[in-house]
Amino acid sequence: MDVNGITFSYDGNVDRLHNVQTTIQHGKITTIIGPNGCGKSTLLNVMSSNGKPRKGEVILDGKAIARYRPVELARRLAVVHQQNEAPDDLTVERLIRFGRMPHKTMFSSNKQEDEEAVEWAIACTNLEQRRFRTLDQLSGGERQRVWIAMALAQRTPILFLDEPTTYLDMFYQLEIMELIQRLNQAYGLTIVMVLHDINQALRYSDVIIAMKEGRILASGHPQEVLTSELIEEVYDVQVLIRRDPEAGLYIVPMQAVLRPL
Amino acid sequence: MANINSTPAAVQVSNVDREDTHRVYHRQERRRLWSFIAVLVLLTGVMLYSAMTGSLHVGVTQLLQGLWTGTDAQVNVVRDLRLPRIIIAVMAGAGLAVAGVLFQAVMKNPLADSGVIGISSGAALVSLIAVTVFPALYFWMPVFSFFGGALACLMVYGFSWRSGLHPVRLILIGVAVNAIFSGLGQSFNYRGSYAVTSLNQVTTSTLSMKKWVDVDVMLWYGGIGLILALLVASWCNYLALQEKTARNLGLNVTLVRVLISVVAVILASTATAIAGVIVFIGLLIPHIGRQLVGSDHRWLIPFSALAGGLLLLLADTLGRTVLAPQEIPASIIMAIIGGPFLIFLIRRSDRLHGR
Repeated sequence: MDVNGITFSYDGNVDRLHNVQTTIQHGKITTIIGPNGCGKSTLLNVMSSNGKPRKGEVILDGKAIARYRPVELARRLAVVHQQNEAPDDLTVERLIRFGRMPHKTMFSSNKQEDEEAVEWAIACTNLEQRRFRTLDQLSGGERQRVWIAMALAQRTPILFLDEPTTYLDMFYQLEIMELIQRLNQAYGLTIVMVLHDINQALRYSDVIIAMKEGRILASGHPQEVLTSELIEEVYDVQVLIRRDPEAGLYIVPMQAVLRPL
Repeated sequence: MANINSTPAAVQVSNVDREDTHRVYHRQERRRLWSFIAVLVLLTGVMLYSAMTGSLHVGVTQLLQGLWTGTDAQVNVVRDLRLPRIIIAVMAGAGLAVAGVLFQAVMKNPLADSGVIGISSGAALVSLIAVTVFPALYFWMPVFSFFGGALACLMVYGFSWRSGLHPVRLILIGVAVNAIFSGLGQSFNYRGSYAVTSLNQVTTSTLSMKKWVDVDVMLWYGGIGLILALLVASWCNYLALQEKTARNLGLNVTLVRVLISVVAVILASTATAIAGVIVFIGLLIPHIGRQLVGSDHRWLIPFSALAGGLLLLLADTLGRTVLAPQEIPASIIMAIIGGPFLIFLIRRSDRLHGR
């Protein structure tokens, strides 16, 4: 997937992305990091056809995503958004079944393929025991897994996740990150996600894209990209980077750098 | 060791858990089934009662026999005068309730009702004008009123859209649009001639004086609208998700919104063209429907059709029997029931959102 010179604006006045240029590598986990309002979610939206760029285009399999029909795109790319809404009385299984929508045509659908995809999605996300629950009976972590399962049921080669661990406690955060890693390693899914936790980004990504003020400042292998200089430039925070024999590389935020306004 | 020992217990717990959730699930399905049975029985009952009762009273066996043979003079009067009224009340109620469900799905707003947001008064105004200018085109009246409803719908969307449909703004704009069209409709009635008071039926509904020709119109347009509504039911389910989510599932969100709105306008304006402006059915019935059969539109739409038909028929039957031989129009009865219910709904949603 190639992002070619994207400039994007919500209102036509203020550009939120400036000439963004990058390539998403097939079969890798790519993480976009950056401070609040730097345009990382916006970039993910543009890359999933949820916003029309003012300039530039996103190319997937040799064709601009703006030129795909919605169902065609939904067979190649699934998205788990940061905030989700659904009726409270919807059961887990019904919601996951929504993921089969792009594979249905007006008159027919492949029932067996649908069943297999739904069962696979339920098994991956470990929701077997919850399948007849309604959404309001689930914990936050379970609910996030249901949304991931719905995206998985689309059986796309590419999966986008917008801040999948925000609002979750430590246990559920780890659970989600391990699930994402497993999906990448076992099934070769190309993953693009936005993360706030820089240590999670460091630990689970193959490629990191660091953004600030609508521009990409650096991208590449996490250990090469995440230097203390870059982090200070991106977040205005001084950090220590340490290596632990068991945990590997980790980052400790030390001090906010106050800049005169 | 502890882990190994605890494993079977954990499995047992979750099996019980699964049975438990199964039971909840089946309880919901049973409630859905019983709701459908109840509304069907009630609808049949009220239809029979309504056919039998009035200034001319006929018994059940007399009614059924007379309808079968066509030789009973009393029953023939009932067939010519009362049956059209019953069928129209049921179809109009069904149309308004389903239009409410559809508008609420598209606008993501539980308060969207074709009467409240001005769709009905837009439809009424244009059909009022059409009736005056082209009285001969009676069969095409729903087409004229469709354009009125569509105009009102466009105004509501157009003025309340600002990178999304804000719920409160949408309702306020809807109330304003409603005021404009009903004001224009009323001033049309004050043109100075006594003759025009016969047109009053379009603005303040009475279901009296309905003939089989009205039934034809109602059944054609309303029937097509209801069938289309069933076809768009699963789209409505996807719209209950976030817009972005629905789009990434491959739904052409804008197109689907337009199509569902068109179906809703067809239903609301047909009902308005034949039965006049009736508010609150599209508000009350979908709300009750969600409590009884859930938010899945594949059930909610047929249930709302049946329950809406039942409610309007009940209101009409009540209106022509309580003060007989005087009649209270069904629209007035609906306003009396609907007003307090709207207050109740708003108060309850305040509590739910904690504001």
